[in-house]
Amino acid sequence: MDQSGFRLGCDIGGTFTDFVLVNTRTGEFFTNKCLTTPNDPSDAVEKGIKELLQVKPGFLDQVEDVIHGTTLVINAIIERKGAKTGLITTKGFRDVLELGREIRYDAYDIFSQYPAPIVPRALRKEIDERVTADGRVLAPVDEKQVRALVTDFQKQGIESLAVCCINSYENPVNEQVLQRIIQDADPDLSTSFSFEVLPQIREYERTCTTAVNAYVKPITFQYLERLTLRLADMGFLGRLYIMLSSGGITSVETARKFPVRIIESGPTAAVIASQHYGKMFHIKDMFCFDMGGTTAKSCLIQKGNAGLVSTFEVGRVQRFKKGSGLPIQVPVVDLMEIGAGGGSIAKISSLGLLAVGPESAGADPGPACYNQGGENPTVTDADLVLGYLDPDFFLGGTMALDIGKSRTAIEEKIANPLGTSVTEAAFGIHDLINETMAAAAKTHIAEKGGNPSSVVMSAFGGAGPVHAYGLAKKIGAKSILVPPLAGVGSALGFFTAPVAFDLSRSHRLALGEADFGDIEDLFAQLEKEGAAILADAAKDTRVMFQRTLLMRFVGQGAETDLVIDPKPFTQWSHKEIRDRFDTEYKRLYGRTYPETPVEFVTFKVRASLPQKPFSMPRLTGKANTLAACIKGQRKAFSVVNKTYIDFTVYDRSLLFAGAGFAGPAIIEERESTIVMGEDASATVDDTGFVWIRIGEETR
Amino acid sequence: MKKQHFDPITLEILWRRLVSIVDEADASVARTAFSSLLRDAHDYTCMFTDSRGQELVQGTFCTPGQAGAMALGVKKIIQSMPLDSYKEGDVFIVNDPWLLAGHLNDVCVLSPIFFKERPVAFTACVFHHSDIGGRVSSDNREVFEEGIYIPVTRLYDAGVLNQDLLNMIRWNVRTPEEVTGDIRSQVAANHVCAEKIIEMMTEENLTTLDDLADEIITRTETSMRAAIEKIPDGTYDHKGVIEGAGSRPDIHVQLAVTVDGSDIHVDFAGTSSQVDWGVNVVYNFTYAYVFMAIKSAFDPDIPINEGAIRPVHMTAPEGSIINCRFPAAVAARMQVGHFMTEMVFNALAPATPDRVIAGSGGTPAQTNILYGKRGNGKPWHTMIIRGGGMGASRNMDGHHCAIFPANGANTPVEILESDTPLIVTERGLVTDSGGPGRQRGGIGRLMTLRVPTVEESGGHPPSRTTIAVQAGRFVYPPDGIFGGKPGACARFLKNTEPADPSGLTFLDPGDSITFVSAGGGGYGDPVERDPQAVLCDVQYGYVSVEKAKTDYKVVIDPDALTLDLDATRILRHKPKGV
Repeated sequence: MDQSGFRLGCDIGGTFTDFVLVNTRTGEFFTNKCLTTPNDPSDAVEKGIKELLQVKPGFLDQVEDVIHGTTLVINAIIERKGAKTGLITTKGFRDVLELGREIRYDAYDIFSQYPAPIVPRALRKEIDERVTADGRVLAPVDEKQVRALVTDFQKQGIESLAVCCINSYENPVNEQVLQRIIQDADPDLSTSFSFEVLPQIREYERTCTTAVNAYVKPITFQYLERLTLRLADMGFLGRLYIMLSSGGITSVETARKFPVRIIESGPTAAVIASQHYGKMFHIKDMFCFDMGGTTAKSCLIQKGNAGLVSTFEVGRVQRFKKGSGLPIQVPVVDLMEIGAGGGSIAKISSLGLLAVGPESAGADPGPACYNQGGENPTVTDADLVLGYLDPDFFLGGTMALDIGKSRTAIEEKIANPLGTSVTEAAFGIHDLINETMAAAAKTHIAEKGGNPSSVVMSAFGGAGPVHAYGLAKKIGAKSILVPPLAGVGSALGFFTAPVAFDLSRSHRLALGEADFGDIEDLFAQLEKEGAAILADAAKDTRVMFQRTLLMRFVGQGAETDLVIDPKPFTQWSHKEIRDRFDTEYKRLYGRTYPETPVEFVTFKVRASLPQKPFSMPRLTGKANTLAACIKGQRKAFSVVNKTYIDFTVYDRSLLFAGAGFAGPAIIEERESTIVMGEDASATVDDTGFVWIRIGEETR
Repeated sequence: MKKQHFDPITLEILWRRLVSIVDEADASVARTAFSSLLRDAHDYTCMFTDSRGQELVQGTFCTPGQAGAMALGVKKIIQSMPLDSYKEGDVFIVNDPWLLAGHLNDVCVLSPIFFKERPVAFTACVFHHSDIGGRVSSDNREVFEEGIYIPVTRLYDAGVLNQDLLNMIRWNVRTPEEVTGDIRSQVAANHVCAEKIIEMMTEENLTTLDDLADEIITRTETSMRAAIEKIPDGTYDHKGVIEGAGSRPDIHVQLAVTVDGSDIHVDFAGTSSQVDWGVNVVYNFTYAYVFMAIKSAFDPDIPINEGAIRPVHMTAPEGSIINCRFPAAVAARMQVGHFMTEMVFNALAPATPDRVIAGSGGTPAQTNILYGKRGNGKPWHTMIIRGGGMGASRNMDGHHCAIFPANGANTPVEILESDTPLIVTERGLVTDSGGPGRQRGGIGRLMTLRVPTVEESGGHPPSRTTIAVQAGRFVYPPDGIFGGKPGACARFLKNTEPADPSGLTFLDPGDSITFVSAGGGGYGDPVERDPQAVLCDVQYGYVSVEKAKTDYKVVIDPDALTLDLDATRILRHKPKGV
């Protein structure tokens, strides 16, 4: 028997489910892509694995781990297909969820729509209990009342229950009592308690996060149960891991308990892959760029690390409008998602200007060239007219594109109204979507203290490698990295994610009065809890910890984050901590005030295990001369000379280690197409990465 | 120097970047501010101008009253000095109500942005400070009673702090640490804005922002004019009444809105004179909410700048309540000023019935200033704001509970309770408060808070608590339109009994206070409302079974909460008077 082990990455996206299988001994890998099955996503997982078994028979019982990312949770929220959820809260506060924060997110729009609360009013019930802001119990929980409520809820047929009491972040004792009573009254009921999901101040955000967790908990539980069983039935004996929004992976048990933590499971994967490549190639600033059909995700990765933020929004009723969604406060990779994709629709705005996106033609009717009845010109139509895409080699030739339809749509909707040629209009669309992404990218990079002109861009997704060259020129980046299998890059990214979990505890403490021994105890306790969660996921005991302090001037309402060395906290001096704070505050806001007292507010720990060693598969194409890799020549639009010129078309699957060539070139693979102009040159390394340099002498 | 031109695509990109720059400055405030009114309730506005003081961009999450007033006031301040008299590192501070946003609490911090040793732009922000000293009440007779008055002054002179000025401010307010912290937050917001603008100019090789500003402003003006063109020409009149607080007489507002091609002129001739209590409105603030009406109804999508205000003109008699003279008392100017948007809507409603909304319970914004001492003697001070149900429109029910036409967020109960000794016992929606209509008005909300007793405070009860109320709609409810009915009135209760909201209210340990904000007005005849929608309202507790029957003529089984369609049909078709 073959002694080799395997790892399987599986990413369920909106349209496709991607698979990457790696032989951990030989580095050999296999991929697959099949249509996502929204009704039961595990259907596609099973189908895809069965197809892989035909290519590599008998691998499944040798798979050590399956790493899985899914859009199941986010779709359930967006489409409001979660469980019938009830909410118990403190008397007087059942409308917290409906009132929200009351701000009008668009000050000048009197017709703004707002998201409906995740739990409707009839399913929100109150109990007599009260804890004060300083944690004293004013009124204890009345057991009889709680049992009666549970009976009411059962009659209403709820499938999941959220509990969030006022001030439970400060003292969870009443919620803990509720937990005991409810679990006793209805042991089978799915429950979520705010002191476990999000022990943080601000009742709306905490209630909303807890309610969303409850809303998706049964569906996540059932799905993971089914998936586990189906994998076991097929002969899988290893461990199943789930991708977290924070970029770590976790056990099925933790994902079931806190499904709100896997909402951004999908988009995060490309970022995680880029982190790995950043470390692998020692790249200081890498800009991860993942462009699909509807949105583009991007993230600046500094020294192999993507930033984390503690809040985001889901299910915006006004797409991409901040404030129009439900706030979720869990750690999430600080990626930026904008409405720019292959399907983004071009139109003339009320100002008489060209506008592209954020509306997308989606899969149905799709771009005009899909010939499915879509009449609006999209970015993909422009890319086709510009010669970047081959109408006969879309998705490896499995889907023919109608370039005539693209031309007509662009001519009627854009070129004629603007009085330009079809070519100018098509390039306008291509260029504007790049500009849109560039503006967002520059802001994002600048906010994180990077410089757009010194980043290395990594391109993923169906449209990513098509637009990477144009985007790089806009932001002034000189090099682009297109990893192998950019089209299924997310699934590949899973292999590079560490087992990790983030924990935090709020505890206000003035720096001047703080006993660093107590703080060390607090960190040690968090680290102990983190180690226990990781023990669930793996037998590995080499747990690593990262500590973060959240500090502020006494009187402020939000904190400045300071990542500190994990040495015992007693080894820090008060002055060192104060200096760290002042330095960071000055960097962010221009001035600091050393005479004004500061305080600790929250202490955070990230517990993680060392990442499993993963080396990129050795990729060598079959060909050994460049000529053998060339599919032909095709006219495509030159960004430099603003006219159609001849591009050489290469077949990526034939490219060999050490191959190098100059632009203008188009490199085609099944899931994606790389475009590079005449001022760029490419080399292929021995792991199959295509490195593109812009603005250098060509060889 | 040759004027720089921008192709439409580049223009779009740079414009978007400018918006994201000001939004970034805006977001920094939540991280650096001290008072909950700023960091949680978002009562502030960030913006910047070109070198001539023309507003170029304002924050997406702005407060329209501050923003609209700043568009006029900041330009006036900048143009009052020759450009070459500004020095790098200068930071100005000013709260002159007549120059800016109409009361002393709105403090503006303004800085020139230097690029290659030349001032190329100005960044400014107005923050509503919870405390600005003075006697906190809406019954002051002159502005001198309302707090410290800061004319345009340098807080930093070429980068050097004017410590004397800061001391002067600190000694005139109750909460010097908070006020100082919030001023520093303003300086930080301007810093963030300036840094990003310089960065953009460097990257884009711009030497001036003025050419870009001209393009953006011209495009915006064109868009605004095109929107106004669509309103039928004519003069539309409206007479509105605003209640006087306590026993004070009503205030009458008379306006004539003239649409002439692509210009709109609003004239307030015939409006009541200024009064000897705190609800007088300066011209800028009145203009801001007139502008809000036009912009929000007709051209809401285009980011606002100097170009948007150009076609909107306003005249108001000097010395009238909506163009008051110094030294009128102005602290509670929103009690009148916020009504301007609704009045313009009412005037234009017959001409543009699909672009207006009925009266809103969040007009005016309901604000409370609360202060006292904790059991340990430590003083506390806070301010909270809240809205009511929004008015319904032709195709939409009113949103529950929003501040309109101003804007802002609530202060979370947990924040309020940790910043003060108070206990909040309820915050929720009020059944039957939304004005009946084919489209129902938004629901109002209730909030009750209590000063803890000796027992509840763990043996150390807080001192007597002082509450100042700036609100309205206690007498005249938000009106419905086109046959819609008014929303429920606001109420103010002390220990569950109606109390007088004008002047100051005092609470001792154990006392409670309840604020009920008004519901929005309905749109269209309630009998035309879809019975299924009424049923849903009843099931959600927005409307009672009784009111479903009397207001909407919809019969609902009170136990099963199901619709009796036959009975509804009979009730709805019963001839009047039978």
